[in-house]
Amino acid sequence: MKRPILLVVLVVVAAVVAGACGRSEPTGSQLTVAMMPKNKGNPYFVSCRKGAEEAAAELGVKLLWDGPTETDPAKQNEVVEAWITRGVDAVAVSVENKEAISTVLRKARTRGIKVLTWDADAEKDARDFFVNQATPEGIAAVLLAHTARIMGGKGSFAIVTASLTAANQNEWIKHIREELATRYPDLRLVDIRPSDDDRKRAFDETQTLLKVHPDVKVVMAIASPAVPGAAEAVKQSGRTDVKVTGLGLPNASRPYLKDGVLDSVVLWNTMDLGYLTLRAAFALVKGSLKAGDKTFAAGRLQTLAVDGDAILLGTPFTFTKANVDQCDF
Amino acid sequence: MRVADHRFRFLSHEALLGAFVLAEVAYFGVRGVNFFTVGNVFEVARASVEIGLLALGLTAVILTGGIDLSVGSLLGLSAVLMGAAERSLGLPVSLACLAGVTVGVLGGALNALLVARFDIPPLIVTLGTFSLFRGLAEGWTGGVRNYTNFPESFLFLGQGRLPGGPPPQLVLFLVAALFFWLLLHHTAVGRGLRAIGFSPQGARHAGIPVRRRLALVYLLSGLMSGLAAVVYAARLGQAKADAGSGFELFAITAVVLGGTSIFGGRGTVHGTLLGLAAVAVLQNGLRLADLPAELAGLFTGVLLIAALALGRLVSRRSHE
Repeated sequence: MKRPILLVVLVVVAAVVAGACGRSEPTGSQLTVAMMPKNKGNPYFVSCRKGAEEAAAELGVKLLWDGPTETDPAKQNEVVEAWITRGVDAVAVSVENKEAISTVLRKARTRGIKVLTWDADAEKDARDFFVNQATPEGIAAVLLAHTARIMGGKGSFAIVTASLTAANQNEWIKHIREELATRYPDLRLVDIRPSDDDRKRAFDETQTLLKVHPDVKVVMAIASPAVPGAAEAVKQSGRTDVKVTGLGLPNASRPYLKDGVLDSVVLWNTMDLGYLTLRAAFALVKGSLKAGDKTFAAGRLQTLAVDGDAILLGTPFTFTKANVDQCDF
Repeated sequence: MRVADHRFRFLSHEALLGAFVLAEVAYFGVRGVNFFTVGNVFEVARASVEIGLLALGLTAVILTGGIDLSVGSLLGLSAVLMGAAERSLGLPVSLACLAGVTVGVLGGALNALLVARFDIPPLIVTLGTFSLFRGLAEGWTGGVRNYTNFPESFLFLGQGRLPGGPPPQLVLFLVAALFFWLLLHHTAVGRGLRAIGFSPQGARHAGIPVRRRLALVYLLSGLMSGLAAVVYAARLGQAKADAGSGFELFAITAVVLGGTSIFGGRGTVHGTLLGLAAVAVLQNGLRLADLPAELAGLFTGVLLIAALALGRLVSRRSHE
């Protein structure tokens, strides 16, 4: 069995040589920031990455971008573990499983790595800052402003939500009700229907809604699959006096925006979200962003508000027929 | 002839795979950052234990010419019911773990009953239970309920370090590996499983209790799923219905890469361990070398096909 041993030695030597050739030399003072999306393939996160790369180029930061490509919830933990071992300066995670990721994020902090969350938060003590893309108050205010504008400040509207137990949506609805009571006395919320994050279900529920409440003039769809579903139902009903608005993604909304059935969709600017997160991670490592700060200077986004340990991206962004073609996700 | 032939193939496959693992370690040791450290070795081991346990159970199953696609789903079901027992029923954590393992054994018993008693092909049985177990886990939790806040003593099993640094679950894995190694390589039962894999008819004529042996391997596979569920919940600190999704394919990859024939009759526990190491080191090394982690899937695929093709070539040549 001499030949296999010789083979092994040869292969190992070749591997060492190959590794040495490919090795990127440590670049001295260059910072390394590792960012993780919930899902690498999701177009939403692909556009976040563009913004992060833009900021990385401006600041001369080495950006590592990695995350799950499959549904395994353990994957985010494994990636962060590898980053801890590799030794990065900052980690920024869009959290899929709050409880699971928090353990490993705390471990990163004890190793002196700066930790941020963005898009979706971990437990508070597991990170330094949360980059918050939109507050529930902000989303509620913008959605109602569009609704009131379409109806001329008066009349009935209905909501198509995700599921009746969805935490985010219920938070938004709570603020919508508060805002209605104080600022829009002539608007009436007549019904809230579930879509279970399913386009077909949103379509069916909207059809029923239009029959049960013929006085409804605006359907507000507040889950991204619900927007095209509700818009399709209104379109097929032939009712030109009913409009849809809501919270959704540009690509799925585009045909209905162009049709005119869909008046507007609200979302945050995802590229800005990636850009801000990387800027914040850099500032955190450099010490120019620290606990107690009230504002943060974020490059081309200028000065943004910091609320406690959350950095706010600002007011939500509205896509209309006019600007939807600028985005592709 | 058969003995010599068998030994030749076995040596060459193991040597090749061993060489590949060594080459991986050498490459990433030079190229990666902090790859060649004791801490990293233990972290790779920690992340591999659940799939490793499943792969051990699957080695015995595949050795008989069978397959168990339900292991990842059963992991999910066991984890969720363990979480429910601890968080909702308020059982002590040791009893909850026992409940989780018991669910695994019961799931394995269902597979065993259908395969060994009713002679339904294992691919069909476990494809069914693959959906069934996951469906039960999702139904139980509504797909959203997540059991968390387990006691520290339990989390230590998955997240802690023993004196010197090794993760506690590694001990459990080594015991399980030793058990399967002894069972498959040093007992009459193990020889019986191999015989069943070569030819169930022949094994029956040779007086091997084929049904009982088949039942045993599916039961053991279920037991491994239950143990893996406990380790998983302790490592992540959560038990949710999506636990272990896709694990069955990683585990089967490790087994087949390790030289176990998918047709049964041939395979080793140490081969499976090497196969597991090859995949785990690749994933970890790519990250530490700042290379795209997607390459892991690509390389694993190429490696798997190359290993099988080579195996075919060698066996054909030795028959000539």
